[in-house]
Amino acid sequence: MVNQNQISKLKRLSEIIISIFSRPSGMIGFSIVILHIIIAIISPLIVPYDYKEINSLIMLRPPSEEFIFGTDQLGRDVFTRTLMGGRVALLVTFFGTLIAVAWGGFVGIFCGLVGGKIDDIVMRIIDAFLAIPWILAMLLIVVILGTSTEVLIPALGFFYGKGIVRVARAATHDVIARDFIMAAKARGHSNFSIIWNELLPNVRDAVMVEGAMRWSWMLLAFSSLSFLGFGVSPPTPDWGLMISEGRGLMSFAYWSVIAPIVALSSLIIGINLSADAFAKALGIDRTQKAPV
Amino acid sequence: MRNFIKIIFISVFSLIISFSYSYASSGVFKVSHDLGFGKDTNLDPITKGRLFQVIEKTMNRLVRNDLNGVPSPSLATSWSANADASEWTFNLRKGVKFHDGSDFDAEDVKFSLMRVSANKSPAAKGISMIESVEVVDSHTVKMKLSTSFADLPLNLTDYRLRMLPSGSEDTIAKTGIGTGPFMVDKFDAEGTTILKANPDYWEGAPGVAEVHIIAISDSQARVQALLSGQIDMLRVIDYKQKPIFEGNSKFKHHVIPTGNWRGMVMRTDLEPFKDARVRKAVRMAVDRQALADLVTGGAAEVTCDHPVMKSDQYRADLSCPQDIEGAKKLLADAGYPDGIEFTVYPSSLEPTWTPIAEVVQQQVAAAGIKVNIQVVPSDGYWNDIWLKKPVAMTRWNQRPADQALNEIYHSSAKWNESLYKNAAFDSLLGMARKELDFEKRKAMYQAAQNVLWEESGTLIPYTVSKLIVTTARVNNLDEVENWSVRWHKITVD
Repeated sequence: MVNQNQISKLKRLSEIIISIFSRPSGMIGFSIVILHIIIAIISPLIVPYDYKEINSLIMLRPPSEEFIFGTDQLGRDVFTRTLMGGRVALLVTFFGTLIAVAWGGFVGIFCGLVGGKIDDIVMRIIDAFLAIPWILAMLLIVVILGTSTEVLIPALGFFYGKGIVRVARAATHDVIARDFIMAAKARGHSNFSIIWNELLPNVRDAVMVEGAMRWSWMLLAFSSLSFLGFGVSPPTPDWGLMISEGRGLMSFAYWSVIAPIVALSSLIIGINLSADAFAKALGIDRTQKAPV
Repeated sequence: MRNFIKIIFISVFSLIISFSYSYASSGVFKVSHDLGFGKDTNLDPITKGRLFQVIEKTMNRLVRNDLNGVPSPSLATSWSANADASEWTFNLRKGVKFHDGSDFDAEDVKFSLMRVSANKSPAAKGISMIESVEVVDSHTVKMKLSTSFADLPLNLTDYRLRMLPSGSEDTIAKTGIGTGPFMVDKFDAEGTTILKANPDYWEGAPGVAEVHIIAISDSQARVQALLSGQIDMLRVIDYKQKPIFEGNSKFKHHVIPTGNWRGMVMRTDLEPFKDARVRKAVRMAVDRQALADLVTGGAAEVTCDHPVMKSDQYRADLSCPQDIEGAKKLLADAGYPDGIEFTVYPSSLEPTWTPIAEVVQQQVAAAGIKVNIQVVPSDGYWNDIWLKKPVAMTRWNQRPADQALNEIYHSSAKWNESLYKNAAFDSLLGMARKELDFEKRKAMYQAAQNVLWEESGTLIPYTVSKLIVTTARVNNLDEVENWSVRWHKITVD
């Protein structure tokens, strides 16, 4: 039996989905993201060549019937590598975003709820971390701990969760003074119970939208690391790495960088459009953020 | 008549002015360096962190390579040896001054050469046979050797054996004082080092007033700096980037065959590379011609894991085709029937390192050798990765056979990067030095190269042809390797 509560949740979800897809930005954005996810999943099955096969006889071939996106400086098929180039990036940044949303959301809500010295101390620590350029901190981490996904996922999750802390805390401040929170406190509920049952449902939307935005930034950050040589290890295809390897030759062999550039930027634009449509569907005006 | 005298006077005056201008140093010549030694970068030519882009312009050697690479006079004007080549007398150039105004004389030669072994310099192996340097008179020195050695002048062309003012032990790393065409005005290893023209240079005043040497650690950033005119010359460019500069009137380029090489070093003191069969298996599994074609676009000469350049009189011409089955057998014999796995650490310091690692990774996989690639930062690569990691990338500039073999593979050499230790090999090099008969000496050096093919921990797949590009405003750059370039002749428009 489906109870009334579940029906109303499903109804709201369907309203949100309809609202997202009724907007051109939502329709286009989500279509791009879904297409990228599908390609990332099925690419090993559909690519025409081995992504790591090198051949000195076909280096830097321009696009042709045989190699529709041309070949790179080691004679590898750019089409194959482009299709497979988003797999690691999507995997790392998806789980990185989940970690960022989880810890950033929890710490933000907790600080917003308890306030006082704990809030002050935590926010000053967050401020200190925000002052460190992410690229420097990330480089330090990957140089010391390596570039495996086990390192990159939590590291990116940590650095991109800092901003979410502030958003979650501000959203918590918006609801903290409402009666139902006072009532929960008066009933003697624990902080955890108040966070889980009262605050989370009310700040969830803001945190999720922020998380979606962070996903696109994290994707860009991951590609930047790969571009610098600290993301994916060769020969695994990755857009940032492909752009880095092809950049020195792009003035005459543009095809080796065009495809990964288009792929990367389209995914980032797709995520941004989706996040925007998602925010509007939830009734969040991202231009009028609460004070943090 | 008065007007006529006036015109003559003005003409002569103008002529003098224009002549003096045409011979004055003018303009700034801007180059880059890769900051590969990070904080250890300094101006002492015999240290590991020597910034050679500076010392080659501020200091002279006794003997230098001429434009054909042959030893020719520099601060030594002539030399001779006794019958068994165990004592060498060098006559020094007179009237040469250091940048601090002091005269160059025999004491400076003694100081400069004797400190090489005293400081345990990486350059020490090349002149380890010099037992003493005696001052005969102010401009004559006699070098007494521990053995006969017919090729001493050749080894004295080492790019680090620069003549320094005696007593400058504690200051040379910062001052960079020498007798060269340029003087250090400001030394900033991580920023821009500024050299000023030495108007009293013994070969004549330099063509440019200043040389700026800018630290740019990333290889592609250096190319962009050249394209944007931030620097005027780049001597390490991926050959595949040649089309960028071909037919572009803003740049000049030339290609020179060299004995410079790029390679991969396995540390022979660590498992699984302690066993020579494992090292050879890795090297045998590489298809060198394909590797050279893929990485350099064919601008390379295949070589078989020894550092002796093709034009060297002592080179052994070996054959080393890819042999996957042979590699598998060697690995099985060494106790690795299922193959081996290791990680190699390239960086963007050298543009071809990562592609080399990628190609080697694919080629040796067929022999059951799994190579992981971890790209590392270029800053401080030579301090943090090279000689530290079990498998690292390396690059060397060309050297004469004796110097290369001794400096890279002798058991006691400071830059023995694979930590290769073989007493018989050391003894062979020692005997070759003593041998006065050219053919016998050649046979010994070639035997040493054969030993390296069998046992070495260093993959040297090819020697490179070097693409050198300058902006169009640079003139008179000799089309030769670094150590032969006469930097004072360069002018800029």
